[in-house]
Amino acid sequence: MTTLGSPIQGVTLYSFTRAFHGREYDLEGLIRKVAAEGYGPGLEIIGFSSFRGFPEIDDAFAGWFRDLVAEVGLVTTSLAINADIGIHRDRLLNQDELIEYMRRQIEAAAKLGFPIARVQISIEPDSMERLAPIAEQHGVTLALEVHADQYASHPRILALRDRYEQVGSPYLGFTADWGATTVGFAPSLIEAYRRRGASEELLAEVVDLWNEFYEAGPPADQADHGQRFGRFIALGAQNGRPDLGVDFGINGTGLFGPARVDDWLEIMPWIRHVHGKFFGIDERGEEPSVPVRDLIRLLVEQGYTGAISTEYEGWHWNYWQSPFEIVAGEQAVQRSAAEAAGSRMITDPAEARAQLAAHLAQPVHS
Amino acid sequence: MIPDRIIEQGTLTTDGGRAAVEVRIPWYRALPASCISEVALAVDGVQAPAESLTWTMNGETHRIAELASRPDDWWFPLDSAVVSGEVPVEGGGEHRVDVELKLYIPYIIIGDGEVLRIEEHDTKTMAATSAKEAVA
Repeated sequence: MTTLGSPIQGVTLYSFTRAFHGREYDLEGLIRKVAAEGYGPGLEIIGFSSFRGFPEIDDAFAGWFRDLVAEVGLVTTSLAINADIGIHRDRLLNQDELIEYMRRQIEAAAKLGFPIARVQISIEPDSMERLAPIAEQHGVTLALEVHADQYASHPRILALRDRYEQVGSPYLGFTADWGATTVGFAPSLIEAYRRRGASEELLAEVVDLWNEFYEAGPPADQADHGQRFGRFIALGAQNGRPDLGVDFGINGTGLFGPARVDDWLEIMPWIRHVHGKFFGIDERGEEPSVPVRDLIRLLVEQGYTGAISTEYEGWHWNYWQSPFEIVAGEQAVQRSAAEAAGSRMITDPAEARAQLAAHLAQPVHS
Repeated sequence: MIPDRIIEQGTLTTDGGRAAVEVRIPWYRALPASCISEVALAVDGVQAPAESLTWTMNGETHRIAELASRPDDWWFPLDSAVVSGEVPVEGGGEHRVDVELKLYIPYIIIGDGEVLRIEEHDTKTMAATSAKEAVA
C-alpha cells in the first residue's frame, strides 16, 4: 500500500500577472507579499516574465534573489522556461539550436536555485532525450507540462512517457496541470462575456457545447481538437458575436480540458510537479469548474510528495476581483481536501525543502 | 490577453508632423522584437503611413521592418516601448489614439510549423503634449 502523500503548498507568480504587469508590485514586492500572506512556501516563477534579460542571469542578481528567497522563508520549486522555436521570423529553430536555447535556461534555473524547470509540449521525445544529460549536469529536473488541450493519456504525452521509460533518467518527468481535468466552463468567464454584452441564450449555448464535449471525453487527437475549436467559433458567428467566437474556442478547448481526474494515473510515477490551475472561487468558497478536492485526494492517495503551484488563470478576464484573495481561497480548499483525505499540505519551509529534495531524488518507477 | 494595457494613458506627444505614444506588451512574458509582426498607429482616425512608423525600445529606435531581425532585443513586461509615426495632431483638446499590434507567440506552434500570431487593439483618448515641452 502506498503511503499517503503530503503535497507542498505554493504559488506561481503567474497568478499575479495583472498586478505585476500593472506595476502595482515589483518582483521583490511580490515575493515579499507571497511570503507575508502565506501563499508559499513553494515559489514558482516564469523566467521570461519576471527576470529582466532572461535567460542571462548575472552572479549579483542570482545572489540577491537567493538571499531574498531565503530571508522571507520561501522555497524555490519550478522555473517555467520556454521553447521559443518560432523566435526567428523566417524559420523554426533546428534541433541543435533548440537544445542550446534550452541549455541556457536550464543553467539559469540552476543558478537561481530552482530544482525543477517546467518545459512545454513543443519539446518532442528526441529533444527531451538530448536534454536529459544537460539536466543531470545541472541538477535540474525537467518537468514537461501536460496542459489542455492535451491530457495524460493523449498520444503525444504517452510517447513522451514511453521515451522517459527507455531513457531511465530521474531528471525527466511531467508537470500535471489541473486545467486538463476540469468539470465545467468557468462561471467567472461566463460573467466576463456577460459584461461584454453576450446574451444569456448565447452563454447557455456555450456552456451546453462544453458539456457535450465533457460527456464525449477529451479530444482523441489534434484533428478532433480542431473540430471542437471550430464549433465554438461557429457558435459566436451564428449568434451575431463573431468577435467572441475565437475566444470561446481558445478558452473552451485550451483552458478547460475535459479529461477525467483518474486520467493522471497514466503518468503518475513521472509527475514531478503540479500546477494547481484554477479559475475562480465561488460564494461557497469552492472552485466551481476544477475538481480541486478530487485532484488533491488523488495526489494524496498516490503518495505525491512534490509541490503544487497554485496557478490562478482567471486574471485574463476577471478584472473585478483581487487575485490575492482568490489564491488564498483556492489554497484553503487544497488544505481542507488534504485533511479530508487523511493527510495535510506542507506549509513549513524547512519541511518543504527537505521533502522536495527527497521527492526529486526518488527513482521513477512504473 | 491584456489589450486594455497597450496604450499608456497620457503619453501622446507631437511635434506637429509626427505623433508618438508609449505602449505596453499585451502578454504575460517578454517577447523579442523579432516577434513584433505588425504595428499600426492612428490619431483621430488618421492612420500613420506604415513606412513612417518607428519603434523605440531598450534605448534604440528602429523601423518596424527591421524588428524582424532582432531576436535578442527583448520587450520586457514592465517596459514601455514608443511607437512614432507621421500623423498630424491638431493642438489642444482630446485626441483618440488607436494602436494595433500583431505579435508572434514563439513557443505556440499551431499546425504545420505555423507560429501563433495574436492581434490586439487598444483605443484611448488623451491630450497631446508638444514634443518640445516633453523634452523640457
